[in-house]
Amino acid sequence: MLAEKYAQEIQTILAKYPPDQRRSAVMPLLYIAQRDKMYVNREDMAEIAEILGITPTEVASIVGFYSLYYEEQKGKYHIQVCTDLPCALRGAERFMQELCSRLNIRPGETTADGLITVEPVMCLAACDKAPMFQVQSGAGLSYHENQTVESALALIEQLRSDATRKRGRDSHV
Amino acid sequence: MMAKMVSLTIDGKPVEVPEGTLVVNAAKKVGVDIPVFCYHPKMEPVGMCRMCLVEIGRPVIDRASGQPLREEDGSLKIQFGPKLETACTTPVSEGMVVLGATEKVKAGREDILEFLLTSHPLDCPICDKGGECPLQNLTMGFGPGESRYLYDDKKHLAKHVPLGELIYLDRERCIQCGRCVRFQELIADDPVIAFSQRGRSLEIVSYSEPGFDSYWSGNTTDICPVGALTTADFRFRARPWELKAAASICNHCPVGCNLTLNVRREAVSGGKWVLKRVMPRQNEAVNEIWICDKGRLGYHFGAQNAERLEKPLVRKNGELQPATWQEALELVTERFQSVGRGLITLASGRLSNEDLFNLGKLTRSLGGKSILYSSMAGGDLTTQIGFAPGTNFADMGKESAILVVGSDLEEEAPLWWLRVRQAAKRGATLIVLNARQTKLDRDAHYSLRFPFGTAAAAVLALVNTLSPKRPELPESIQELARSSELKAAAKAFAEAKDAAILFGGDGMGLAETQALAQACANLLLITDHFGRPNNGLLGVWPRANDQGAWELGWQPSMNLPADLAQAQALYIVAADPVSDDPAYLNAFDGQKFVVVQDLYLSQTARLADVVFPAQAWTEREGSYTSGERRVQRYYPALQPNAALPPRVESPGSRRAQVLTGLRAELDGPQADFAIPAFLAEKLGYEGFVHASASLVFARLAAEAPSFGGLSYQKLAEVHEQWPIVGRSDLYYGGTTYENTQGLGVQLPLAQGGASLLSWPQVADFKLPKLGGIAFPITRLYDRGATLMHSQLLHKRIGEPYIILSKQEASRLKISQGGFVRITFTDAERSVVVQAKVDEGLPERVVLAPRSFGLPISGPTPVELKPAG
Repeated sequence: MLAEKYAQEIQTILAKYPPDQRRSAVMPLLYIAQRDKMYVNREDMAEIAEILGITPTEVASIVGFYSLYYEEQKGKYHIQVCTDLPCALRGAERFMQELCSRLNIRPGETTADGLITVEPVMCLAACDKAPMFQVQSGAGLSYHENQTVESALALIEQLRSDATRKRGRDSHV
Repeated sequence: MMAKMVSLTIDGKPVEVPEGTLVVNAAKKVGVDIPVFCYHPKMEPVGMCRMCLVEIGRPVIDRASGQPLREEDGSLKIQFGPKLETACTTPVSEGMVVLGATEKVKAGREDILEFLLTSHPLDCPICDKGGECPLQNLTMGFGPGESRYLYDDKKHLAKHVPLGELIYLDRERCIQCGRCVRFQELIADDPVIAFSQRGRSLEIVSYSEPGFDSYWSGNTTDICPVGALTTADFRFRARPWELKAAASICNHCPVGCNLTLNVRREAVSGGKWVLKRVMPRQNEAVNEIWICDKGRLGYHFGAQNAERLEKPLVRKNGELQPATWQEALELVTERFQSVGRGLITLASGRLSNEDLFNLGKLTRSLGGKSILYSSMAGGDLTTQIGFAPGTNFADMGKESAILVVGSDLEEEAPLWWLRVRQAAKRGATLIVLNARQTKLDRDAHYSLRFPFGTAAAAVLALVNTLSPKRPELPESIQELARSSELKAAAKAFAEAKDAAILFGGDGMGLAETQALAQACANLLLITDHFGRPNNGLLGVWPRANDQGAWELGWQPSMNLPADLAQAQALYIVAADPVSDDPAYLNAFDGQKFVVVQDLYLSQTARLADVVFPAQAWTEREGSYTSGERRVQRYYPALQPNAALPPRVESPGSRRAQVLTGLRAELDGPQADFAIPAFLAEKLGYEGFVHASASLVFARLAAEAPSFGGLSYQKLAEVHEQWPIVGRSDLYYGGTTYENTQGLGVQLPLAQGGASLLSWPQVADFKLPKLGGIAFPITRLYDRGATLMHSQLLHKRIGEPYIILSKQEASRLKISQGGFVRITFTDAERSVVVQAKVDEGLPERVVLAPRSFGLPISGPTPVELKPAG
């Protein structure tokens, strides 16, 4: 339940909107849901709908419209490679293909350990520094520019060890 | 105030329309069809589909002088835009020139259709919409003929997506016009379907539980311009061109929605005529072009099925056995004659005006007593200060006030909810005064709550702020009476030019609704809001023709069980008291002679001595009087008697044979007006007609004062309505039917007026310290006789349940959906039902839906225990 887990944060968000326009808080509440699990499930949509006094269908419609909200569980880290034309001219597509084959997945898929998803996205406004990608995770967004497959793999190793360390720490709590 | 008129030309035709009119509508008014997909005349334009592109030119105005420039020949200089414009989003302007048939426009339309068809499956031969499909028609009319796109590159999507169990989506066919989504949001106020994803992946989704959870879902299939949305009811059942149409009136509630019944004669049903679907029929003063799902999908009780009574039944050796009409009629005649004044005729508002007229007349002739089987009183007031002729919710707006009291309007009379809501959106002051929250509160300017059991007192509190008479108010209402919101609401009501009150029976029984009706009447009388159009009192009755029954002198009994117990003979027509409340069982002690006339062998019919099989409203003619006092005709759609050879291809001699056959010996179900007339004939009474409903109506018009001057011809009159709908305009208004068989006539008000002012006694009502009080509420989908035969709505109806307060639930330690044993202490009856929890309910209040088999005819003391 988001309302219990993030009670304080939700209150802070709701306080920013007039009571009769609560529905406008749907985006920030969805950020919370997505940050929590890296996707928004049906239960979260229903809960957000209830908090805002709108229907779950309306929430689902917003989740569906924005390509950066996920409706299915994928990796903990989303490697989002821009493959639009200027980036493609600087080798972004080839970069993504090669990265995927090194990770043994196809674009849009998730690695066997459930940690890394690689997916093509539209313009990230860094055409001159392609190949580039952003990493989206519960911790937020980070940009990685002028990448090679090797540098990307190194980063992925780093993310994996972070995840393992974190999991180990969590299990001690 | 008249709107400013604007002159323009459309395809060379001069047009004059009010300022603000959209080009597409201005064109429609002069008979120029501009094709549309996303535009719908009942909704704001969005300009999404681009089908309505036209060339628009406007006069060039000289900036210095402000005068229009002229060509050398003196005509106005017209400047056309560089691109085509959407006729659906562009309002008319003075001197505008609209061209809808130029090469440029044709090319534009061809391109749009070519795009729309890139991924449309073109599966018209197996599509339910085929034959009445705007996309099909407009493609034939304006399409390019062939596509430059590759057929093999079509995107294929899921074709059988249930949005719920009532409505199916075919994703391939959807052209993303958004009509359905907009309808659900703007008109139904149930945004339970929406777009998800984008571009070619766009799809309609529903995340509600159950799916597409709205009483209005069927209307989206009417306005869907393709075969993307279909009802589970009609899907794959027939092709539109095989269907014959019969004009009808819905008989589920007092709104009186105009319907078209589509029937087909089919081999799979042994060559019988079969009711295939129910469609709305336009009546802008009643249901506009909409109907609720109960009307659309709950018609099966009026269809012909194996459970229908076919022959009269007579009790012999303790068993009901089939008999001839002759035998049954003779037996009943004899017994009725012998009891005379001991006869009680109990009939419900499910019957037509003609039925009630003949039944009432027969009962009077015998010296017996007629009783209306109804849970609401107050009709004596609505006949006198009800809605006056000329009243139309569509005319209520800024200068009107509407008070809705004691009614969960969407559950009781859905179309009135829709129309009251729209009046509020147009600016009418909406006051909702209820014991609990209802959907209408969302649109209310004043949302007032009275404690359960004090509806009449709450209305008197409104009266109190306006009238020097100052009736005494009970203690429990004082807090509301002193509130500034109530005072403001009373003031707004009194000061409105026009004001109407809708009163219902939410939480109330007969006695309470009678007091409430009187209190409402007082409010109308002291504020002078009666006797003229768009003013007056509207009863949200439980049945379709309750208002008609009151107009014809029928009234409910304040103590029905006692009356029934005292009778020597009972004639029960279109009512099933035993199913509704087992307390009535006491009246059937075997001592009295009981005749039941119905469609099915109801619980009550099982106790009868004689059962007469009646014709359904689909099988005969008749008329209902709606709550708004509009008398409306309905026409036969099916053959009345399945046993008779169907009347087809019509050689005249064959029809004559059938009629002679009828005269020689009655067979099969008969009309409810005919059966009492047969009895009267045997009793030797004059002045009864059984041959046709129109002849009965002619008698009725001659004898019942408020119906004076009416005739079936008058009821069948029509005039042009806006928006224009019909078979050639499918793309514009949807598949709703044009009204060609009668808009009905509103009855004049009976004399009475100010003499009606009287002050009802309002005793204080306090909830008990222990146990609880169950208040009856109405649910649109109930387990009543008229809905339980529906083949689709079962899941939505659900099992019997009650609604509890949070405190009660925690005391009983049950959660949402748990089971509870409820004991109705007065009726000495207990049942196990599901419990739903409503956090807004006060402690000690239990809500019990009517027609779910619970003995609840008014507020009733109950005890609750956890079950199991």
